[in-house]
Amino acid sequence: MAASVRMDLGDIQGDILRAYGNDYDCTTYAFMKIECPPEQARAWFTGVVDHVTTAAPWPPGEKPLTTLNVSVTARGLRALGVSEEVVGSFSREFRDGMSSRSALLGDVGPSDPKSWEPGLGSGDAHILLTINAQRTSDHERALGKMKAAMDAAGGLRIVYQADTELLPGSREHFGYADGFAQPAIEGTSDDKARGGGVPLKDGEWRALAPGEFILGYPDEDTRVDPKKRLPNAPAAPLGRSGTYMVWRKLYQDVALWRRVMRDAAKLYEGGDEHTLSAKVVGRWTNGAPLVKYPDKAPASFDPQTPGGNDFRYDKDKDGMRCPLGAHIRRSNPRDALGFEGHLSFRHRMIRRGMPYGKVLPEGVTADDGEDRGLVFVSFQASISRQFEGVQVQWLNAGNIFGLGHDKDFLLGDPHGTGKMTIPGKPPFFLSPQEVFVRTRGGEYLFVPGMTALAALADGTAG
Amino acid sequence: MSVQTSSPGPITATGTQPRNHDGQVIAITVFSTIKLPGRLFLPVLFQVTRRVPKLTATLRELSFIHFARWCVIGKLPYNGPPQKKGRFRYPHMYFESNFNGGWEEYIDAFSHILTSGMTAFWGTSYGFPKPLPTAPFKRYIQDNETEADHYYCAYPDATSTMIQRALELDEKLAALRRDAKRMQPDAFAAAYRAFLTDAQNAL
Repeated sequence: MAASVRMDLGDIQGDILRAYGNDYDCTTYAFMKIECPPEQARAWFTGVVDHVTTAAPWPPGEKPLTTLNVSVTARGLRALGVSEEVVGSFSREFRDGMSSRSALLGDVGPSDPKSWEPGLGSGDAHILLTINAQRTSDHERALGKMKAAMDAAGGLRIVYQADTELLPGSREHFGYADGFAQPAIEGTSDDKARGGGVPLKDGEWRALAPGEFILGYPDEDTRVDPKKRLPNAPAAPLGRSGTYMVWRKLYQDVALWRRVMRDAAKLYEGGDEHTLSAKVVGRWTNGAPLVKYPDKAPASFDPQTPGGNDFRYDKDKDGMRCPLGAHIRRSNPRDALGFEGHLSFRHRMIRRGMPYGKVLPEGVTADDGEDRGLVFVSFQASISRQFEGVQVQWLNAGNIFGLGHDKDFLLGDPHGTGKMTIPGKPPFFLSPQEVFVRTRGGEYLFVPGMTALAALADGTAG
Repeated sequence: MSVQTSSPGPITATGTQPRNHDGQVIAITVFSTIKLPGRLFLPVLFQVTRRVPKLTATLRELSFIHFARWCVIGKLPYNGPPQKKGRFRYPHMYFESNFNGGWEEYIDAFSHILTSGMTAFWGTSYGFPKPLPTAPFKRYIQDNETEADHYYCAYPDATSTMIQRALELDEKLAALRRDAKRMQPDAFAAAYRAFLTDAQNAL
């Protein structure tokens, strides 16, 4: 086994390996289009790069009021003057873009890229600036500065902007605690290995190799390579300290979700609508996993506490506690697929999503017409293996879990049919399946490391 | 500056060539040239694995693999001109398999779960890297893989697991239907619930 790897934190952008945290409750995602020659764009980009926040830990008490991070699409790389040869060294799916993978991803029907919001999936998005702020006033100031710099440079246009804000208790709009189950990474979050790493045969866990998430480091494949070859990565210097980013705006139909759960629960003998909803998700609203708390939610549960995310499915093979098709069991099956986690350990991703839109007040089951949902963000070394692997094989297909054509009840597109089996004696069949979540747009991006950003700004990235 | 290709070879939606899949099912066909020891070793290996099913238990447990077949071929059947008659200069191993899911997942399973088996089957082929790490192994398979001219699947929307479960369900349902004829409503209600409980993994 490879010795623990030291990460060059000053070269990696922030909010990837470790979250900035809940102190930053506003995030703006601004997608820009470069409409000027590369030299002019690079002059502006140089100014941006100077303000980018890295993964280096902040000295105590010196948490910045705002943070800035930068990512680029394949078209963005070209617009900054990067050669076709170097762009060609990036992964195929990144170069093709998310909208070209819609059939594969299940972005069909109401989620079809044809009905995405303007600016997303159309080739106009070149650069994504992500601004986090502790307070609304700081946020506005940072946005103002960003816009002033753009106007001064000229030839740049914001083609899409999403403003997001944390909901109370770190919940997402369906009401569930979200975002705390993250992969444990060697050298960064070894303490989270139990429940976050790879489940081993002897009941122990181990953290994942950093190269699963950051390019230029050993991954789960190369950690065992006697020749110490590094995983494939884009051409140097872009291939070091960077990562691929998936950005998706997912609309959540909260009223529909509540109505479906309310109506279905009338027939459900296993409990009320809260229990039924928990069965779909695999957790109670406070984040407590069903596999540990099958009958009712514990009165208080903090998923962030040590051990909060430490569980396996080995004692629940038939899904009587947590259904085989529950959302969290599909999206991160842990040991559920057997073979010592070997069918699942290379499909992990770091998630940094943020909810957007106002909360639908509790108890309301009629749609108020508000746009609300989740900006899904994930970081991974391979979009196809990690993000698409989960989306395609685990959420939009049921075969590997022995669930036939069943898709994830929460996220999957049912194509007019669809159901979910809640195992029991007898089982309960939740159907028909509705579309609770729709994709409103998205992009595949690359988050360069700091050296790479400087090279992009200088025009020396190749 | 050196430029690496980041994904070895063409990656389509399923990770394979367009003609290699039909609905949910993917076909893989790999030819590799065998070294001299393989000519002696492989026929023995094939016999042993056939006679001792335990040796291939893990392969059969991987439910997304419909089947996997290895054989040694010394010549191709003669189909008339312009094909020339004759044997290959070197014997080749012919590998074919059908599976569900993605190409990458499939090879990952071979590398990580069937590590020693892969070495046994391909170890005597020219150019074979070890099954781990997976990146060179994937490249090797891809370099030796041929795209099917035509691939047909009788149930393109089904997987082997689904067909197996459907057969189990068919049996259980037939039993319920048979017994139901003699049942009073209360007894049927109980039998129906028992059937649902028993067959829930196949429904």
